[in-house]
Amino acid sequence: MTVLTKKHMIRYNRGETRAAWICLLPSVIGLVCITYIPMIASFTLSLFNWNGLGEMKYIGLDNYIRLFTRDTKFYGSLLTTLEYACLSVIGSIIYSMIIAMLLNRKVPARGFFRAVFYLPYVLPVLAVYLGWKWLFDYNHGLFNYLIKLNGGTSVKFLDSSTMVTPSLALIAVWLSGNLIVIFLAGLQNVPRTYHEAAEIDGANAWHRFWKITIPCMTPIIFYNLLMSLVTNLQVITPALSLTQGGPGTGSYFMCYMLYTQAFKSHKYGYGSAIAVILFLIIAVFTGILFATSKGWIFYEGDEKE
Amino acid sequence: MSVYTAEQKHKGPILSKSRREKTVSILCLILLIVLALIVMFPIYWIFRSSLMSNGELYAYPPAFTPPAWRFENYPETLKSFEYLKFLGNTMTILIPAVLGAVVTATMGGYAFARLRFRGKKFLFTLCVGSMLLPSMVTLIPIFFAWSKLGLVNTYWPLILPHFCGGGAFNIFLIRQFVKTVPRELDEAATIDGCGYFRILIFIIVPAIKSAMIVVGLLKFIELWNDLLQQVTYITRRDRYTLALGLNIFRGSFNDDWSSIMCATCLSFIPGIVFYLIGQKYFVEGIVMTGMKN
Repeated sequence: MTVLTKKHMIRYNRGETRAAWICLLPSVIGLVCITYIPMIASFTLSLFNWNGLGEMKYIGLDNYIRLFTRDTKFYGSLLTTLEYACLSVIGSIIYSMIIAMLLNRKVPARGFFRAVFYLPYVLPVLAVYLGWKWLFDYNHGLFNYLIKLNGGTSVKFLDSSTMVTPSLALIAVWLSGNLIVIFLAGLQNVPRTYHEAAEIDGANAWHRFWKITIPCMTPIIFYNLLMSLVTNLQVITPALSLTQGGPGTGSYFMCYMLYTQAFKSHKYGYGSAIAVILFLIIAVFTGILFATSKGWIFYEGDEKE
Repeated sequence: MSVYTAEQKHKGPILSKSRREKTVSILCLILLIVLALIVMFPIYWIFRSSLMSNGELYAYPPAFTPPAWRFENYPETLKSFEYLKFLGNTMTILIPAVLGAVVTATMGGYAFARLRFRGKKFLFTLCVGSMLLPSMVTLIPIFFAWSKLGLVNTYWPLILPHFCGGGAFNIFLIRQFVKTVPRELDEAATIDGCGYFRILIFIIVPAIKSAMIVVGLLKFIELWNDLLQQVTYITRRDRYTLALGLNIFRGSFNDDWSSIMCATCLSFIPGIVFYLIGQKYFVEGIVMTGMKN
């Protein structure tokens, strides 16, 4: 039947086409007006010098040249963004995988535990950052109290340019409850029979984890990796709310740099150039992920549509 | 490994295995409880701080429970933190935006899942492709479009974009769910004389209700936390959302951590309430999202 419909009956019904376009009209407007046209506009704007009011002056690649050769903060911003993204992506994937593995066992009050680990994700993120700022406080914060209790010296979590990125990444890990739920769903989808068969063959838990669980989970790991990479490379909220980019370039994320250059210093062309570079970075990372995915993602034969 | 006799080999491992399994289970449970306590502790600490005076907060060593439960901190904070107004403003943005996103995403997802038309593949690729485009990249041009229209400092820039399909991810999610609805139902309805829109409303929507709720909830969280858009478009104080209000409140009460923690806790409330309402759907829906990738 399906073969028939596909091969011989591709005559599009007029009513159906019309219904489809009506249904898709909002989405198409969205794609055109708030995604693809602004993208092109961004690329174009990055070639101009513009303060938002006066005349736009075409300057070719000057914005980019200035970024790479003269802007003292650009490389700092780039490194900070990459460091933050790496730490928070790796941290949250490992953290949520461990929690999901634990929750996948027969534990009492599983719903309650799941709720506990998910809760940070639903809290308003700005309030979360404020709360953590207090926990990170140099003199009166909880963490420094615990460190001093164990004989350490106080750490300037948010006030030193080297510590601020890892500290913010820690908050990102704490916030990654949605990954747990997705991992958990994936784990429940791993066929029990595989584990049972391996157990009969004498594989221990460690081997079963690496040879069955992980391979079966690779599509989900890929998805979580991709999505959290794209989100974390676009980090801006902690800088907007807590650190204002400092100290130094410790939290001067690329998005924050874009925001301040464009909306505070009114260098819109320059800001657009940063946006384009950010876009390219994300494109490269997604490209790498997709290119390598064939090598490490395991698809069950019967799952293909 | 020791050598077993045939009998031991039969009995031994089974017994020890169940015992070992039990120990492992208990260890896992303990680990889980410890981790849960660690994860919850920041929230507890914030709450505990909101019930203390600044003097108590700055004491050393810090008290793990408030010496006196100063609930009066809350009415005190509410005097300078216009919580209800900010919450009202936030909801004015969120409710229409979430509704718009759910409705238009459902329409789009339905069309992609069920209807046949020329250019569907191309459109779908464009749609999924936009999922990977960083939204930051479009920020500046869109801002200028809104400011040309004179709508900066209104809520329109924060609401209207969500009436455009509610984001590629949500369209995709709805599409995956619609695909799980048996086609026979559509066909039966067609025979009964239903058009495409009636099928959508009377067959598809009831079947994918939980997915629509998930889209709504995820959208809610996303918008709730979208500080960047709010900072960009809203600069007038009387239009502030909860997030902006909290941000400015912190700025003006620099060292009054007791009040800041009160305001923080107050901002947690809608999140928690909303989570308790939606929890069932969250889990159900996200479980399905995970499956479908």
